[in-house]
Amino acid sequence: MSGAQPLPGPLAGLRILELADETGQFCGKLLGDLGADVVKIEPPGGEHNRCIGPFLNDIPHPERSLAFWYYNTSKRGITLDLETVDGRQLFGRLAATSDVILETFRPGFLASLGLDYESLRKQNSGLIMCALTPFGQTGPWRDYLSSDLLHMAAGGEMASSGYDEADVPNAPPIAPGGGNAWHTGCHFAYMAIMGALVYRTVAGRGQYIDASIHEACALTTEAAIANYVYRGEVLRRQTGRHHAARPTPRTQFRAKDGAYVCALVAGRLTPKYIGELADLLDTNGMAGDLRDPKYQDPAVIAANTSHIIDDLVAGFIASLPAEEVYHAAQDRGFTWGAVRAPEALLDDSHLHDRGFWKKLEHPELGRSFIYPGEAAIYNGSPWRISRRAPLIGEHNTEIFCDELGLSRAELSVLAENRVI
Amino acid sequence: MSRPRALENIRVVDFSWVRAGPWATRWLGAFGAEIIKVEWPENERGRLPSTTTPQNLEVNLNTSGNFNDTNVNKKSLTLNVRSAKGLEVVKRLIAISDIVIENFSSRVLQKWGLGYEELRKIKSDIVYVSMSGYGHTGRNHHYTSFGPVAQAASGLTYLSGLPDKPPAGWGWSYMDDTGGMYGAMCALTGLYHRNITGQGQHIDLSQMVASVPLNGPALLDFTVNGRGSRRAGYPPGNRAHWPDTPLVNNYRGPTVAPHNAYRTHPGEYNDWCAIVCHSDEEWQRLVQVMGAPSWATSPRFATVAGRLQHQEELDDGIEAWSMNLGKYEVTGRCQAAGVRALPVQSAENRVEHDPQLRHREMYLAMEHPMLGLHKVQNAPFKLSETPTSNHLPSPLIGQHTREIVEGLLGYTHEELRAGFADGTFWPAKRVRFPYMEEMLQ
Repeated sequence: MSGAQPLPGPLAGLRILELADETGQFCGKLLGDLGADVVKIEPPGGEHNRCIGPFLNDIPHPERSLAFWYYNTSKRGITLDLETVDGRQLFGRLAATSDVILETFRPGFLASLGLDYESLRKQNSGLIMCALTPFGQTGPWRDYLSSDLLHMAAGGEMASSGYDEADVPNAPPIAPGGGNAWHTGCHFAYMAIMGALVYRTVAGRGQYIDASIHEACALTTEAAIANYVYRGEVLRRQTGRHHAARPTPRTQFRAKDGAYVCALVAGRLTPKYIGELADLLDTNGMAGDLRDPKYQDPAVIAANTSHIIDDLVAGFIASLPAEEVYHAAQDRGFTWGAVRAPEALLDDSHLHDRGFWKKLEHPELGRSFIYPGEAAIYNGSPWRISRRAPLIGEHNTEIFCDELGLSRAELSVLAENRVI
Repeated sequence: MSRPRALENIRVVDFSWVRAGPWATRWLGAFGAEIIKVEWPENERGRLPSTTTPQNLEVNLNTSGNFNDTNVNKKSLTLNVRSAKGLEVVKRLIAISDIVIENFSSRVLQKWGLGYEELRKIKSDIVYVSMSGYGHTGRNHHYTSFGPVAQAASGLTYLSGLPDKPPAGWGWSYMDDTGGMYGAMCALTGLYHRNITGQGQHIDLSQMVASVPLNGPALLDFTVNGRGSRRAGYPPGNRAHWPDTPLVNNYRGPTVAPHNAYRTHPGEYNDWCAIVCHSDEEWQRLVQVMGAPSWATSPRFATVAGRLQHQEELDDGIEAWSMNLGKYEVTGRCQAAGVRALPVQSAENRVEHDPQLRHREMYLAMEHPMLGLHKVQNAPFKLSETPTSNHLPSPLIGQHTREIVEGLLGYTHEELRAGFADGTFWPAKRVRFPYMEEMLQ
């Protein structure tokens, strides 16, 4: 970074109040890393998902959850018990000067405290409130309990993912890992909030957003819904590749080092492609009979698809490490990729060129750690992690005293009474 | 419709194709932006090949069901941007637009003479979102991707599967869907920033790079603790932990059991129900729901440590119960008792059975001139002031060329006809659709 004053992020100047657990905290991070001042409001003692591992050096502690660290960058943190009169009153004061409230409580909870949108907007007509919940604020499943796995089941992700019978007989449908039901809900919630913010720049008014994780997941299975709606087809699961109405050739091949390569070949097999494929396979002397002139005939290609894919492509990939196959193929215009474990990304030169990895200080530990960076480079208003995740109540003094004007004595009383 | 729209008066020049880009602009359209999809039939990808054309219709540029769902709320302008005249037309369009969005590989727009430096000369505050596979900067910018490749190269594929088996991966292009989300998110964020500051910009989104931050906790486990994901028992299928492997968090939530998918009656392909207990109390409720069978009341299942240790037996016992009930029955009984359970749902289940999605009007029928009346997917959020809606079916190719060229850009009808004759608005030798002939009357 240069010595000049860095450009502000695109959301600079916005104040977000985040009342979010594991289901919605990623949305707050997306907003905060793009420059919004996100104030995370936790119950006294801290949000329960501070107890989700893995932990720093495997020592469980609410300040050592790496999941919490990751999903709460670029936020300030305060504690507040909304179930106390003082807590509600302080929350009302914060809401009066905020742009967005993001909340993930069960439907009706904030209203039961008198903190529903209609009450809060009376003192702030520009206020936007987004409730992101598992099923939305209405409907027969409104009060159902959920989890990441459950959303992947009901949303349709599992019905599409799994194994060929030949690879794993009787395999269950598989829910891809990593917490992507929460990510998906947060992506749509972010979009809805931004739509409301853009509208507010024109109309001046805020609004209420009722966002549903179940609906977000149900929307995120590409053509599965269209296959059913237009053709009545229910798709079958296949190892490492697209669901399909009828079996399709495999696309995942084991490389010499035991890692896999995703190589999309079927459906592209034209005479021109065969020539390019022969050049690629020849880089390791594995072109086999691909240079035979018979492959200038599309009918011969079609009759030999299995030989080309299962013998030649599979044999070539088995002869080299996955990373070498990946780069050799991509350099020649093949849309192939190595199946990497996440940690392999630390060695990806392309990500380094984009300045993707960020070194983030944890001053209380006297250490810095490497964090993943941005999905997109905003050339005119950069993405940045402004601070590591807040410690429990780290900004209580800064926000309650310096910004809301409470005295230190008042703050002490609030702490003694478990309001903060 | 009298309700205001969030993106009223916003115009988007949409060069995007296939899935990720069109999925992005679909949502900008749902917010009320005018989406002008610039297409050319000779190198179209998205309308064809189509595997979602109804069995009773001919496969052609206007009959893909998935194209329809991916491209509602848009208008179509057919234009040969690679011709001098076509370039002139598109520049006039950009001059009165707010956003330019595309998902070509990294140097295509520059080669057309429409790189960001050119775009800003045409419209100084333009918001330009490029959605290429690897981004416009970085040594691999020329690499190409679509969902499965981005998922593989970013680590997402690896997180899905059973231990000691090949990766199961994602059974669809998750990163075309999610890459589309990021395209819309970038456009909205850039637009907000423009409205506040008056400044446009180029936002350089990469599908592959956008996948990497979705592995956050796994990456921190490596950068902080030095622990990689290539380890025994990982990924643990649908479980939070694989039996007889080291107890380490799996980046999906708390390490608990039960946490799995269980077969349900009648045992067909998608007859499964996911059940998870986050606490001993939830487990005791499940024991009651199952009718307190003697195996389940054994003290070795009373604690989470015991349930994790005896997970195979636990899962067998639960499945022996769930096999006797339909997945919605398992779900209903569990949820009524405060136990986390939801059915594995196919597309058919979601569209036809899911009572929540029906209540929320997730799938509403919409008429398309070639496809007829079919259900289209709605937004997963409800905005109180500016509700999103699907207000236009996907456009027929070139359906709005006259409206845009004459109505919006002010060319004469003679110029439109000349452009059809010289291959600017449709390949001169390609058969025209009947609505194009009408357009030229």
